[in-house]
Amino acid sequence: MAKKSVGFFESQKIQAGISSWILYLIAWAGALIFVIPLVWMITTSLKAPDQIFTNPPRWIPYSQLYLTYETKILARNDGKIKITVDEDGTKRIDLGGYSHVIPAIAELQVKKNMRVVKGDVLATLPSKGRVSIVEKADKTKVISVTDRGRLIKEFNISQDTKAVVKDGDTVTMGDKLADVMPQWSNYAKAWAPKALDETFTRYLMNTLIITITGIIGVLLSSTFVAYGFARFKFPYRDQLFLLMISTMMIPAQVTMIPTFFLFKSLGWIDTFAPLIVPTFFGGGAFNIFLMRQFLMTVPTELDEAAKIDGCNYLQIFWIILVPLVKPAMATTAIFGFVYNWNDFMNPLIYLNSTSNYTLALGLQTFTTMYGTNYDLMMAASTIVLLPILMIFFFGQRFFIEGVATSGLKG
Amino acid sequence: MEKAIKRSKFKMSTQDAIWGYVFLSPWILGMIFFTAGPIIASLILSFCDWDLITLPKLVGFGNFMKMFTDARFLNSMFNTFYYTVFSVPLGIIGSVMVALLMNQKWRTVRLLRTIYYLPSVTAGVASAIIWMWLLNPDFGLINYGLSLLGIKGPMWMADEVWSKPAIIIMSLWGVGGNMIIYLAGLQGIPRQLYEAADIDGAGMFDKFRYVTLPMLTPVIFFNLIMSIVASFQVFTQVYVMTGGQGGPADSTLVMVLYIYQQAFKFHNMGYASAIAWVLFIIILVFTLLQFKMSGGWVHYEGELKK
Repeated sequence: MAKKSVGFFESQKIQAGISSWILYLIAWAGALIFVIPLVWMITTSLKAPDQIFTNPPRWIPYSQLYLTYETKILARNDGKIKITVDEDGTKRIDLGGYSHVIPAIAELQVKKNMRVVKGDVLATLPSKGRVSIVEKADKTKVISVTDRGRLIKEFNISQDTKAVVKDGDTVTMGDKLADVMPQWSNYAKAWAPKALDETFTRYLMNTLIITITGIIGVLLSSTFVAYGFARFKFPYRDQLFLLMISTMMIPAQVTMIPTFFLFKSLGWIDTFAPLIVPTFFGGGAFNIFLMRQFLMTVPTELDEAAKIDGCNYLQIFWIILVPLVKPAMATTAIFGFVYNWNDFMNPLIYLNSTSNYTLALGLQTFTTMYGTNYDLMMAASTIVLLPILMIFFFGQRFFIEGVATSGLKG
Repeated sequence: MEKAIKRSKFKMSTQDAIWGYVFLSPWILGMIFFTAGPIIASLILSFCDWDLITLPKLVGFGNFMKMFTDARFLNSMFNTFYYTVFSVPLGIIGSVMVALLMNQKWRTVRLLRTIYYLPSVTAGVASAIIWMWLLNPDFGLINYGLSLLGIKGPMWMADEVWSKPAIIIMSLWGVGGNMIIYLAGLQGIPRQLYEAADIDGAGMFDKFRYVTLPMLTPVIFFNLIMSIVASFQVFTQVYVMTGGQGGPADSTLVMVLYIYQQAFKFHNMGYASAIAWVLFIIILVFTLLQFKMSGGWVHYEGELKK
């Protein structure tokens, strides 16, 4: 597998062979650790709620459901027994300040006024029963196990759960009732959460609008400005370029408050404008820098030939250079996509109503509502991450190229 | 005649200059309205009391004096430094090591690079949520992994001692982003240097110490500055994992979160601006300090060839 190593590892052959193998194993072990969080996210997103909180953790979302329940009800306190019966036939044993609810089906093992100590058996439940399956309107099912018409235990199962028992079957303790399949319905539940006003359709649309117009703004204006920096000589050009580079060091928080006030005065709060409009004014120092580095590699002969043919600078820019810098634009577009998709602080500051939320903001709100439903939270996270992961796989070479062309080699 | 040529030349270059400014104009306008203007405004605001509704009221150095006695501010500064001091060096060591591994000529190296790079494109709310789950004290994978080693894992985000290490560990998941930059740097090191080292009989670690590392220092320097700037601005992960609180007991209240709270929760716009300026100055001092010290350890190719 390890054919040949380069760089500083290349030395005496045998030694290199062994160390290369060790390094190879280390590299894969590390890669495994790096990919586990994402795998864990996906498997969790497909689990039924009762498969989530298990120790040791369960890797595969498939599982089986067995008929289990406590067959014995034990005394939790010492004391004298008092027995009361409710209207629906439920018995209750009061014992030293504690009330045990005893289902009608249970067989009492104690008598009124009997003295028991903690741990004594108060009642037993039958370990055998008949199955009856009821299908509800939302396709979820209830498997009830009954004994002589009285309910022992009820299992709510979702649409991704397949019952392996039939209506009328007799089952005993420990029998398998159902196969719990990967819960694809978690995605439907996460997409349109009941506890929130909006669905992810809305968040997705908002994010797409902001991201796409934002990318257009960044591409147009950063290439436009980069052309100015790369091809024209004018007073203070180099100083302005340096100034632009140094703005990368300014933390966004310094400009945040006056900018917020500016947009507030314009009545742009709770609109997409504060997230989109600034991209048309330069598109960010890093992007201008990237495009300028790329434009510098395009020979000026092309411009001059076009000039002789009577093109003005706008035409040269649009007809000659823009098609040539398309690969660099793809890089900028992909980085812009990732940035906008993941951006949290700006939407948090500028968007108030949930109908304007982006995916990042919607996902955060989702978390506050479904704090412990990790199945749904992981499904929602997968929904948000999937497009970015796809963009990454299809546009991989642009990520790498982007780094190479920006001249970060020092 | 000569004069005419001169004039037309002059005319040409002026025209060129005008065109240059035309092409720069979007950035210049953006610079004025979204960068320079707001910076000046925020500097003025940092000397004012302002609730966004009534007119700003000048308070002199009041906001800055307040910081010295504001326990939450001092704590947020401590937390930010804590995070930076650990996450930046660990992140650099981690990404350089991964880059060295990814610079091998293995058949699967492309796949490996993709895997290591992947987490850095998922940065944001979703990855913070994944980590909340991984760091769950009772059912999270991290504590399960620790239990396999016989260690009882801490409460992580529920424990004020372990909440900061939790966020630092999480940040290390993203080292793939810088790894790519180091990889580009590694691939730019001329092979002759290694060949020369071979002739001198240098071993594996000698080559790393005397060739790879010095040749990589310009990239490390660039990354060090960018990482410090970024780590001083950590926000999203903390906000998501603590519901915007910076808990438990303010143990993850970082400076940017405190600025956000002061500005948009308590509407103390002047005080928030002042803190933002302190943050800016800290970043500036650190950056300048690094440039000052860089002469001692950053090697540029030209120097090395001497």
